[in-house]
Amino acid sequence: MISKHWLRTLLLLLVAGSFYPACRKASLEEADIADHTAEFAFPLLQTTLNLKDLMFTVLNDSLSSDTIVVNPDNTMTLYYSGDVAEKPATDIFEFFKFPDAPIPVPDTFYKFPIDVPDSVYVHRADVKSGILTVVLNNGFDEPVHGTFHIPQMSKNGQSFSYDFNVPGKQFALSPGFDLTGYQLLSDSNTLEFRYEAYLPDGSRVVLPEISPGIAGVGILLNGFTLSYVEGYWGFAEYPLTLDTIDIDINQTNLKGNIQVKDPKVTMTVANSWGFPTRGVVKYLSFIGKDGQEYKLESTVFNGDSIDFEYPSLVAGEVGQTKYTHIVLDGTNSNIGTIFNAQPTQLIYEVAGISNAKLDPTIVGFLTDESTIALRMSVELVLEGSAQDFGAEQTLDLNFGGFSDLDTDNIEEVEFKVVTENQTPISTSLQLYFQDEDANTIDSLFLGDPQFIMQAAPVDANGNSIGQQRTETFVPMDVARFERVREAKKMYLKTFFTTADGGTVPVKLLATQNATVKLGLKIKTRF
Amino acid sequence: MKTIRFAPYIAMLAGIAWTGIAFGQQELILHQETDIWQSNALNPALFPKEKRFVIGLPSFGLDASHSGDITYNDLLRRQGDRTILDLGKAIDKLEPENDGHYDQRFETFSLGLRLPGNWFLQAGHAVRINAALRYPKALAELIWNGNAPYIGQNLNVGFSTTTFDWNELSIGLSRRFGTSLSIGARAKFLSGISSLQTDDQRRAIQVYTDPDIYQLTLQTDYAFHSSSIVSAIDTSGLGFDLALNELKNGFSANTGWAFDLGVQLQAGERLTLRASVLDLGGSISWKKNSNYFYSNGSFTYDGVVIPGTDIINGTTDSLDFTAALDTLNDALDFQKTPEAFTSALPTRYYVGGNFKLNDRWSVGAVLMHQSSEARSATSFGINARWAVLNWLSLGTMYSVNDHSVTNVGLSIYAHPGPVQVFILSDNALNAITPYGSAAVNFRFGGAIVF
Repeated sequence: MISKHWLRTLLLLLVAGSFYPACRKASLEEADIADHTAEFAFPLLQTTLNLKDLMFTVLNDSLSSDTIVVNPDNTMTLYYSGDVAEKPATDIFEFFKFPDAPIPVPDTFYKFPIDVPDSVYVHRADVKSGILTVVLNNGFDEPVHGTFHIPQMSKNGQSFSYDFNVPGKQFALSPGFDLTGYQLLSDSNTLEFRYEAYLPDGSRVVLPEISPGIAGVGILLNGFTLSYVEGYWGFAEYPLTLDTIDIDINQTNLKGNIQVKDPKVTMTVANSWGFPTRGVVKYLSFIGKDGQEYKLESTVFNGDSIDFEYPSLVAGEVGQTKYTHIVLDGTNSNIGTIFNAQPTQLIYEVAGISNAKLDPTIVGFLTDESTIALRMSVELVLEGSAQDFGAEQTLDLNFGGFSDLDTDNIEEVEFKVVTENQTPISTSLQLYFQDEDANTIDSLFLGDPQFIMQAAPVDANGNSIGQQRTETFVPMDVARFERVREAKKMYLKTFFTTADGGTVPVKLLATQNATVKLGLKIKTRF
Repeated sequence: MKTIRFAPYIAMLAGIAWTGIAFGQQELILHQETDIWQSNALNPALFPKEKRFVIGLPSFGLDASHSGDITYNDLLRRQGDRTILDLGKAIDKLEPENDGHYDQRFETFSLGLRLPGNWFLQAGHAVRINAALRYPKALAELIWNGNAPYIGQNLNVGFSTTTFDWNELSIGLSRRFGTSLSIGARAKFLSGISSLQTDDQRRAIQVYTDPDIYQLTLQTDYAFHSSSIVSAIDTSGLGFDLALNELKNGFSANTGWAFDLGVQLQAGERLTLRASVLDLGGSISWKKNSNYFYSNGSFTYDGVVIPGTDIINGTTDSLDFTAALDTLNDALDFQKTPEAFTSALPTRYYVGGNFKLNDRWSVGAVLMHQSSEARSATSFGINARWAVLNWLSLGTMYSVNDHSVTNVGLSIYAHPGPVQVFILSDNALNAITPYGSAAVNFRFGGAIVF
C-alpha cells in the first residue's frame, strides 16, 4: 500500500517535472542584446552652389556697382564699374580772383583787369555770392557828395550805383552790398568803375590820393563767387588728373590663376564743361599680380588723346553732361593681356587741352558745378579658364548627438562625398577639423586636398555637356573619428580648376550649378 | 548610443513574435478527455458521470506557435545569469512574412453542481489572452543589422497584431434528456483588460535608404487601436517611447458577451459523439481608454541642407546636426484620437467522438475548426486512451494542423480519490522542450469532484 502511494507521488512529480520547462519564465525585459555587428547609414549635409552666385562673389572688386547680366544664351556678363576720377572746373579754372585789400579806383573812370585763366576771354559772369563795399576817403576840407557806378554789373536791368556824401577830411565806408544775382558783362577781361564827386559849390572833383600811390576811392569784395562764366576759351593745356588706385577682385581670399577670355574695359568721360576739351593720356599702366607693369596700348587714342564730348552753349545745353565712351577690347588694345595678369593697381595721368582745334568762334561756359569725371567699367563674359582658384572658409561645427556616441561600440566609419557637377570646373577640397582654439586636430583626407568634383565634360566651344557625378569614400578608423566628432570648427579649403587642367577656356552659364553632399556610415558592435 | 534604447523593444518584439500571437486555443486532446472536469470548457453539455458537485482548481493552458521552424532558443539563450537576445540566428529562419499566435487560458476557479431533474449548473472565472502577430522579416533585419545593408531597398517594416486579454465570468446550464442526449449552453460575460489592434487597412511603414548619400525616407500609413496599453507615443529626443499603462486585471467598462453551445450523444454503449461551438458571437467593445493612433506621411531626411548662397557669401558660420536629426521623429508623428473599437473572439467548432473498446481502452477522433477575421484553421486528431489503473489514465493523440502534420499528443490524468489532476498536450514533445520548438501546447490543472 505504501509503495502504491509512493508510485502515485513519484509519477506526479515526474510528470510535473517534465513540463517544468514549459512553465519557466524568462524575463525578456531584462534580456541583453547579443554581441553583433550592425551598420547604420545616414546623410550628413548637402548644398548646391549656383554658378551665378559663386561668380558674383568671386569676381567682386573694390570698385562699386557690380552687376551680373544673364544673357539670352545663359552666358553671363559681369559688369563692374566705378568713378576713377572727378575734376570740378573750379579746381582748374579760377576766375575773378579779387585781392583781399580794397581795389583802388585811382580816377573817376577806371578799367580793372579781371583775373582769368590764360587764353580765356570772359563775356559774362553771374555772381553767386559776394559783398561789395565802397571805400571813400575825402581829403578836402569841405564835404563831398556824388555817385559810384559799376556799369558792367547789373541786376534786373539796373546797373550798380551808390550815392555817397562824405564830410571834409573824413573816411567813409559804404554799406555792404549783396551782389548775389548780379551779372557782369565784359568782352575784354576788364571791369569798369566810375564815380562822380562834387564839392558843395558844385564843382566836380577827383578824390585825392590818401598818400602817394594809394587812391582815395576803392572797392572791397568779400566772398565773391560766380555761378556761371561764359566766354571764349583759347588753346591751353592743363593737368586733369594723376592718381594710383588699387584693384581688388579677391574678396574671399581666393588664390590661383584665372584667365578670362575677351575682357572689355570701357572708359567713360562725363563732361559738363561747356567748351571743347581734348584728353591726353600721359600715362596709363596696370600693375599685374606678379608685380610687373603692363602699359596700356590701344589704337582708340588718336596720338594718345581723345576729344571729349561737351555741352554746347549754342545748343542751349548749359547744365547738361555729355559722355564720351572709349572701349578697349582685344581688337583695339592689349587689355586682355592686362586683365589676365590680374591687375592689382591702375596708374594713370591725363591732361586736358581746351579748344585744341583753335576755333576762334567757339563761345563756351562753365558753371560752378561743371566737372569732368572719368568712369571705368569692366565687362567680362564669363568664359575663360582657372587653375587652383581657391577659397577658404571656417565654419563652427556641432555634431550634436553624434558627439555622445560611445566609440567603444564603433568599429569604423566611412564618409561618402558625392558631387554632381554641371559646371566645367573641377574642385579639390580639404576639410580641416579644428578645436575651439582653431587648432587643427585632423583632416578629412590624409595629406593633400583631393579632387572630389570632376569638371563636367565640355564641347569644342567650351560649353559643358551633361553632369559629372563623383563619389569619394573616406574611411576613418575609430581613433580618427573620435577626434573628428569632437571638432568645434571646420576649416574648408577649396580649389577650382576648369576642364583639362585649366588649359581650355570654358563658358560659365548662369544655369549651371554644383551640388556637394556628404553621408556617413557607422559600423557598430554591441 | 541611442540605438541601445531599442533593446527593450527588440526584446518585446521578439517575445511577441514567438509567443505573443493569437488565435483560438486548439486543445484537441482535452476535448477527448471527457472525464476531466476542465473539458467542460470545450463543451458545456459535459458533466462528470455520477458526480454531484465539482470544484475546479486553477488550470493553465497555453497554445502558441510561430510560422516556420523558429524556436525560442533561436532568440534567447542563457549566458551565466543573463538572458541574451540574439536575433541573428532567428533572422535566417524567418520568412518574408511571419505569423505567430498565442492563446493563454488561466481558469482561476470553476464550480459544477448537479441539480434535480437532470439539470447541471456550471460557473467559473478565467483570464484569457488572445494574440496574433504578422510581421515582415525586414523589420527584424532592420533592427538587428541596421539600415546600411539594405541601402537602395524599400523595406516595409509595418507589422500587424491583434492582441487582447480579458476576464471571463461564465454561467451555464445543461440537461440530460433520457440516457443518451445531453445539451448545454453557457453565457460568458467578458470584461476587457487591454487591447492592441492594428488597422489592417493601414499597416505600411516603409523605410528607404538612398544609395546616394544615404538619405532616409520614411513613409507611413499605419494605425492601431489601443485600450489601456498604449496611452501616448513620444517620438521626441531621437527616441520612440511608448507610454504603457500598467496592466491591471480588474474588471472594466470594456465589456462583451460570448456564448458556448454543446451537445453529447451516447450512441449505444460504446460510442459517444460530441459537438460544440465556443465563443459564439463573442466580442468585446472597447470604450474606455480607447484610442486610435494614426501616422500618415512621408518624410525624407537629406541631412543638413545649407543654402549655396550662404556658403558662397560666407554667411553660414556653423553646422549643427542636432536640430536636423530631431526632425526625423516628425515622420512618426502619431495622431491620437479617442475612438471605440471592437475585438472579436475567434469562434471554435468541435466535432468528435470516442469508441470504447473495452474497460481499459478507448479510441476516438476530433475535428476542430476555428475562424476569425484574421485567420481560419482546422485541426484533426485521432486518439487512444488507456486506463492504466483505476485512478490513472494515459492518452495519446496524433493530430494534424496548419502548422504541423506530426503532432503527437499525450495526456496523463490521475484521480486519486476526489482529486483530479491532469497534464496534457497536443504536442507532447514540444511541451517538454518548448524552447526548442516552433509551437507549444499544454494544459494542466485539477479539480475536486464529489
